[in-house]
Order: sequence, then C-alpha cells, then structure tokens
Amino acid sequence: MIQIFSVSKSFGGNIALKDISLRVRQGEFVFITGPSGAGKTTLLRLIFGTEKPTGGQILINKINLTRIKRLKLDMLRRKIGFVFQDFKLINTRTVFQNVALALEITGERSTIIRKKTHQALRALGLEKKENAYPLQLSGGEQQRVAIARAIINDPLILIADEPTGNLDPDITKEIMLLFRSINLRGTTLVIATHSRELLEDTGQRIVVLNQGRIVDEIVA
Amino acid sequence: MRLRIWTYLFKHGLMNISNNRLTHLISMGTITLTMLLFGSFMLVSYNLNNWIKQWGESISMSVYLTDDIAEKTQQQIEEVIQQFRGAELIGFISKRQAMLQLKEGLGDQAGLLDGLADNPLPSSFEILIKNAKENQIDPKKIKVSLEKMDGVEEVQYSEQWAERFKGLLDILKIVGFIVGAFLGIAVLFITTNTIKLAIYSRRDEIEISKLVGATDWFVKIPFLFEGVIQGIVSSGTAILVLFFVYYLFSVKSVYLFGLPVLDFVFLSQGHALMIIGFGVGLGLVGGFIAVGRFFKV
Ligand SMILES: Nc1ncnc2c1ncn2[C@@H]1O[C@H](COP(=O)(O)OP(=O)(O)O)[C@@H](O)[C@H]1O
Ligand SMILES: [Mg+2]
Repeated sequence: MIQIFSVSKSFGGNIALKDISLRVRQGEFVFITGPSGAGKTTLLRLIFGTEKPTGGQILINKINLTRIKRLKLDMLRRKIGFVFQDFKLINTRTVFQNVALALEITGERSTIIRKKTHQALRALGLEKKENAYPLQLSGGEQQRVAIARAIINDPLILIADEPTGNLDPDITKEIMLLFRSINLRGTTLVIATHSRELLEDTGQRIVVLNQGRIVDEIVA
Repeated sequence: MRLRIWTYLFKHGLMNISNNRLTHLISMGTITLTMLLFGSFMLVSYNLNNWIKQWGESISMSVYLTDDIAEKTQQQIEEVIQQFRGAELIGFISKRQAMLQLKEGLGDQAGLLDGLADNPLPSSFEILIKNAKENQIDPKKIKVSLEKMDGVEEVQYSEQWAERFKGLLDILKIVGFIVGAFLGIAVLFITTNTIKLAIYSRRDEIEISKLVGATDWFVKIPFLFEGVIQGIVSSGTAILVLFFVYYLFSVKSVYLFGLPVLDFVFLSQGHALMIIGFGVGLGLVGGFIAVGRFFKV
C-alpha cells in the first residue's frame, strides 16, 4: 500500500528526514512516534503528496508520487483521508458542510452526500452539532469533525497527525477505539503521535523516528 | 463534467458574489458605466454609418451640353434621360441661369465676370439617382452612354456627401477603437481585482478543498463564473439603460443639411449581443488572470 525507498527531505539546509525506508501493507495499523521535531509530520506530508521528497521514491498503491501528474494526485487524495493536526476546517461553513465537502468535490449526488454525511457525523457522535460552526466547538469536537471528513469517502488509507493531541484521556480512548474499528473494516492506518501513553498495549506496529531517522521498529 | 457539478460550481460563483456584495456592486456599477460609454459610441457610429449608406445611395448628376446644340437634339437627350431606370430629371439649367448662379456664388466679386465677352458656362440637365446600389444602377454606365450622344459635352456625378462623412466615420472608428481598448483594459483591471479579492477571502476554503482532493478546475471555475456573471449583468444593464435613454430622448428622425429624413435607430440585436459578448469576454479573461497564479497545495 505504502512503499518508501530511502527518502530524504530537507528544507534549505535543515534536514527533516534522512534515508527513510518503510513499507506499510494493506490493512496495517502503524504508529509513527518520536520526539517533537523528529520528522513525523514531514513524513506524513510526503505520503500525502503535499511535500515532495528531496531524494528517494514514494509509491502509494503502486503510484509513484515523485512523478505523479497534478490531476492524478487529486484523484489519489480522494482515497486518502488525512486528519490534520490543526484540523483544517472551514470556519465559515457548518460542521455538516465541512464534512460534506469531501464528497461534493467528487461530484457525488446530493442525496448520497446527505446520507453519507449524516452517517459519518453519527459515527462520531456529532449529529447534534451539524449546524454549528467550527469555532463554536471544543477542540475535541473539531477533531472529530476532521476525522468525520477524513473517513467519509471510505478511504484506502487514513492518516492522522497527532489526533489526540488536544483531547482529554476519556475521549482519547474513544478515538483510539474508533480508529481500531475503522482499521478492522480494512482501511490502512498511519498515525503520528509523540504521546507515549497512546502506545501502551496497543499491539500495533510502532516506527520510532529521531532527528529524521528511523531509530527503532517495535511491536508493542 | 456532469451537470450537477456545473450547478454546484455556478452556485458557488453566485455565493462569491453575494458574500462580497458591496465590492461587486461597486465594480459592476463601474463596469456598467464603462459599457454604457462603449454602447453610446456604438449607437452613434451605427447610425452615422446608416445615414452614410442612405446618402451614398442618392447620386446627383450634371449633363453638360455643347453650346451649339439644336433644340431637337436637346429634346432627344431629355427623352433618353427620362428613359433611364431610377434616374429622375430634376431640371434644366440654361447658360444664363448657370451664369446667374455663378454670380450669386461669387457675391461681391461677381464684377470679375463683367469682362467676359461670351458666357463660357454650358447649359445642363440635372439628374438625381435614388437608391442607386439597391437598384444596381451604375452611374458610370449612364455617364458613358450619355457622353456618346451628340450635343453632350461632359457628364459629372458626385458622391461627395457620402465620401466626406465616410472620412468622419473612419476617424470616429479609430477613436472608438482606441477608447474601447482603454475602457476594456479598465474593465479587465476592475474584474481581475474583484475576483482576486474573492479568491483572497476564500483562500482557506480553496486550500482545504485541494487537500481533500478537489481538482484545480473545481476550485477555479466558480471564480470564472463570477467574472462571467459580472460581465453579463454589467453589459446587460448598460444596454437597458442605453435603451431607456434612447427611448426618452430620441427624436427618432433627423433632418440634416437639407438631406432626406433619416431615422435614428437603436442598436441591432447583433450589436447588443456584441456588447454582452464583450462584457462576458472581459469577465472571463479577468477571471482567468485572477485565477492564473493559483497556489499549489
Ligand atoms: N516547511 C518547513 N520549512 C522548514 N523547516 C521545516 C518545515 N517543516 C518542517 N521543518 C523542520 O523539519 C523538522 C521536522 O519537523 P516535523 O516533521 O514537523 O516534526 P514532528 O512532526 O515530528 O514534530 C523540524 O526541524 C522542522 O523545523
Ligand atoms: Mg508534527
């Protein structure tokens, strides 16, 4: 599903990633962890195609991201759900409209858009908030809106950057359960987190980054 | 692309406008004024053009006769002239009348002519040919055939009026073209900046749409629609205002320089479409310029 071959990325003289090789199979659930500044976000961005690697190759579903055409990348993004660390919600649109956007851009029929959006909102316990605007919500609620938007397309891959960063422990547990159930339905998950607690007895594969290198790979 | 995508994009174009109502009102008002100026220019030159065409259609012709012409020959010539299709004999000017007219024309300096022993001016038949082009009458042919006749010295005809005004119209067209180009650039500038403003106010939305997999065209087209709507509304309003003003103030008929009554008509449908097309074209180009340097996500 995701194949990364000796990828490096530098911003000017600042090296964010150095010689990273990683393979994530279909249906896998992988954590990327490491201290702040280790390169987790950069790695996720490379997988999503919002950054281009300085060296090496990245293949998503056998498509080479380093040589992809603009339109093909747009189409690929529809199959990848990304939960951004800063959520990236449109503040002038309601919760419902924010989630529906991911389907509207595909030209889907409006009855289907409505149905799927309601489903996703219900799955995240947001049905009462669908007419609220993002800035009227708590951090945890905004986080869930971002997740709802990321999963509405039934993506092949779900990527989340620090998805529990602003959440209290109870909700963190809930969100982790949600991710697990999404994974059980066959979606490949890649989640970046610096929080150690999240990793305890998850039984999943963990890739540890430090200063732009993979320093460890464990199964907790 | 499917119809519902187009509907969606069009709706978002309208939303862009309603979200920035005041900006759009100001810019559309300015564009309307510009198009109004352009339309007035077109209206005037269109009518001038019509008049020239009508004038060009009537040709006046003078058939100068030899001095020693016999009365019988003169009668024959008159009969021949009356046989020409479309030609109307206005009158006969004798040598004496011609001299009188000349003297009148010279005014104070008429004394110059007193020294002449003989009257050197020829007598002539004056002919008017109406609707020459429409009836496919070639004045040159008439001239040649009349000049072959005994007793005819020379035939002259003029399309002076038409030529003089054609010159004026040519100048008007050049001025119109230059003014039109400047107005076009002004409109383009306004449209581009209005749309840039809309893009700026929706930059988050654009970025996020791209992140969830919207194509470039999907995010660009609403702004192009915005330009097109601006163009249609502005040029349409300009035409309506122009018609209203025309309707209120137009005398509809003009009597100029003693020439036949000419109608002052409104722009044709083709011209109206041209103005709207011009507006839409500028809106679209403005949209493309504004959208051109779209950020890549
Ligand atoms: N757009 C950027 N421009 C310059 N430097 C960047 C940029 N993005 C990340 N970096 C640098 O790359 C390194 C890794 O950052 P990041 O991937 O955000 O780490 P993490 O997500 O693990 O905290 C940091 O040193 C950071 O300063
Ligand atoms: Mg980060």
